[in-house]
Amino acid sequence: SSRSSTAPPSERPGERRAAEMKKLYGRDAAKILAMEAAMQLTFDRNCDLKQPKYWPVIPLKL
Amino acid sequence: SISSSAASESDAEELQKEQHARSVLRERFLRCLLAATNKKVRFHMHENVNVEATFRTSDIDVLNFQVSDLHTPIGVQKEALIRCQDVISFTFDM
Amino acid sequence: MQCNWLLSGPLHWFRFVDKQVRVKAGKDEEHLGWLLTVDPVSASVVLLNFREDAALVHVVVGHSVKNVEVLQEPDPEMTERLRSFFLPLTTPILDP
Repeated sequence: SSRSSTAPPSERPGERRAAEMKKLYGRDAAKILAMEAAMQLTFDRNCDLKQPKYWPVIPLKL
Repeated sequence: SISSSAASESDAEELQKEQHARSVLRERFLRCLLAATNKKVRFHMHENVNVEATFRTSDIDVLNFQVSDLHTPIGVQKEALIRCQDVISFTFDM
Repeated sequence: MQCNWLLSGPLHWFRFVDKQVRVKAGKDEEHLGWLLTVDPVSASVVLLNFREDAALVHVVVGHSVKNVEVLQEPDPEMTERLRSFFLPLTTPILDP
């Protein structure tokens, strides 16, 4: 990284995401965030394990 | 001024209404995708392509559907990703 | 009414929830059903059609939706049926 040691620490991505979710979903943000995190985790894990390939190889609609 | 504070109050109310609507809509949709897990799904795609597969999951941005046992016109693909942009609609039974 | 469905926003989409609608999609498709929800991220529409002891779920992806039109308001029974449709009853949501 080219960041100098005197620069402020970068914002943690999880915090920014939480703030965005709060703006979008208000008081239900934590619930939606938890549901989304579980689903994305399943997706990422399945893709790691099963290595699915795109079908069709070339998009039907560009 | 009074009018501007009244306006910002109604803005806040409007924002809360929108947030509530968005979270009800989103939660219902996520639950629908969860309910589709491991179900036989029929994809109706562009170019008049129709395929069946076992639904697994989707990314949260709904760009890709991850499926198994995809019955393509030239055989079964064990594991596949289907681009959301290729899809018009999909159906499953509950 | 030919509006941009993708950009309509949650308050607009919410007006169709629980109602029986006709969705025009793709080039010349039409789908009828009770509207369960519209995903605020992808604008995808979820329709339900009830049969004797089952239901057919139809998801029309947001970019294909051309137009949504209300056909019928729900009675309280239908509203409740739709509200509880995908709620977990016996199956857990999350993997262990």
